[in-house]
Amino acid sequence: MDVAFRKIDIDVYDEDALQDSELYEADSRDPAQVLGDARARQASVRSLLAKNDIAGALTAILENAPYGPNVEDAKTMSLQSLLTVLNSTKSTEIPAVIKSLSMDSQDTLMKYLYKGMAMSGWADSNASVLLSWHEKLTEIAGTGCIVRTMTDRRTV
Amino acid sequence: MSNVLRPYLAAVRSTLTAALTLENFSSQVVERHNKPEVEAGGSKEVLLNPLIISRNENERVLIEPSINSIRLSIKIKQADEIERILCHKFTRFMMQRAESFIVLRRKPVPGYDISFLITNTHSETMLKHKIVDFIIQFMEEVDREISEMKLSLNARARIVAESYLTAIST
Amino acid sequence: MILLEPHNVIIQTTLGEKIIKPSSLDVAFVDYDGVRFHLSTPERKTLLLLSMHIRCWDELVRYGAMEVLQREYGVLLQPQAEPEYNVSLAIDLEQAPTSLEDRDAFILSIALFKRNALAAPFESAFKNQKQLEAAGTGQGELMQIHYRDEEAIYIQASPDRVTVIFSTVFSDETDRIYGKVFLQEFVDARRQPAIQNAPQVLYSNREPPLEIRHLSNLRNTEDTGYVTFVLFPQHFTPVNAAATISHVQLFRDYLHYHIKCSKAYMHSRMRFRVAEFQKVLNRAKQEVTVTERKTVTGRTMSTR
Repeated sequence: MDVAFRKIDIDVYDEDALQDSELYEADSRDPAQVLGDARARQASVRSLLAKNDIAGALTAILENAPYGPNVEDAKTMSLQSLLTVLNSTKSTEIPAVIKSLSMDSQDTLMKYLYKGMAMSGWADSNASVLLSWHEKLTEIAGTGCIVRTMTDRRTV
Repeated sequence: MSNVLRPYLAAVRSTLTAALTLENFSSQVVERHNKPEVEAGGSKEVLLNPLIISRNENERVLIEPSINSIRLSIKIKQADEIERILCHKFTRFMMQRAESFIVLRRKPVPGYDISFLITNTHSETMLKHKIVDFIIQFMEEVDREISEMKLSLNARARIVAESYLTAIST
Repeated sequence: MILLEPHNVIIQTTLGEKIIKPSSLDVAFVDYDGVRFHLSTPERKTLLLLSMHIRCWDELVRYGAMEVLQREYGVLLQPQAEPEYNVSLAIDLEQAPTSLEDRDAFILSIALFKRNALAAPFESAFKNQKQLEAAGTGQGELMQIHYRDEEAIYIQASPDRVTVIFSTVFSDETDRIYGKVFLQEFVDARRQPAIQNAPQVLYSNREPPLEIRHLSNLRNTEDTGYVTFVLFPQHFTPVNAAATISHVQLFRDYLHYHIKCSKAYMHSRMRFRVAEFQKVLNRAKQEVTVTERKTVTGRTMSTR
């Protein structure tokens, strides 16, 4: 008797099955537009950094951060520009910069910190910077910030 | 303690504390079942974003939270062949005793050396902050233990070689 | 105990007892490298028969084992060995030396039975080296002693030295890595001034050394190692030769003995450390206070 039917994943055909897209509201922007935004932001971050406006540069990246599927390039680009900002901040300035951010921006920053540590091949050079930011951010924003990173489906 | 290790452990501690918000949750897929959702993976909506904390390429922690259980996997530093075998021996020794280490998983998640599975039952019957302390202390000491074992192996090898060669030297 | 003893302790203690108080006995026992012994009293209580089986006996005979044993044991050596064994000694306890010192020396020489049999190729190589040195050129015969299933000793004399090569197989990955650490220390230890006169030790993994590379029966897998001892004439002067032979022939057993010791030590360490972790985890457990519950009438509740 043919038993192959036993291996069929019937849940796929379940109309009630939950789809990834139903977990959060999709980004209304077009992937190409998101990439363009990220590129524009990268340029503005550079100019803000040149003016030594760290808080401004951070806010610029963290507002409207790209999320969802199909925008991997924009995500990587945002992470890169964020890392340049983090790397160019003096460790004594970190708490003040974090305090100046809005709560949403703090949450997004936390998401980026975890993403930075998860990127294989990147961790070696940035780990200590990311870890010290993580520590300061947790001190200021609390564990709730980490919980929101875990629960927010809009992954950066 | 090196200055990178401290923030690393602090990050693991805060992340683990944040993740240890577990509640009893019956399976949505099978009636009258109650199993760790992070292991079953049956329903997407109860699994949260996995987080990775890394100190460098070879030392990282993966925390996979879900509604009623979290899985924490550790990748232990292994600089060379000897440390690799010692680490393997040590973790295997521990995992064979998993039933007495209630929160220990019998097999590590692929890509990691040792995994812990903490369910809502554990966080209800045990003190949460002490479980966190245990994981942090394990991470602190396992590195030190492995490097001490390596040193003792080298020291023994040296003594053995010297006494043998002394016996036949003229 | 760091160094292994070349003699067999069972033979030594049994003989010591039986000389004082003869009684009939029949024991079979083993030594390193699968050497089997059989000690019995087939005819009368005072005549012990000691038989030995070595798996490379034929090779040893070819390299002069009979001559060495004849020299060491003289009339004790039996012309016909006991069935299933390679060589036998008949020890008449009534003829044993009476003075305490002589008796101990006699017992020890019997206990060195295996060592003496295995010494034959070494002695022949040392003799060969003297001849080659006189001739000034040439290479001695490459003697092969397959003393274990997959491991062998190769001995070759040259005009200025004698080369002894051990092939050894590490049965599992841990042994192989531990073995590497140990052998590396053997190579490095010679840098110390105190033991600079020790024989040179070379070690190679998988790749056989030049001297034996032409042999066809080598198994060159990852778990095989080759250890080469280069013995110079100073190591086998008449005074030193006996000690050198005793030590060198036990090298393989010595190495593996210490690998096993290290593993045992690691295991005890892990046991201790894991117990410590267990204590830390136990701190997380909440103490369950068991209070005696009673009913209104004063009877104790009990779970059935």
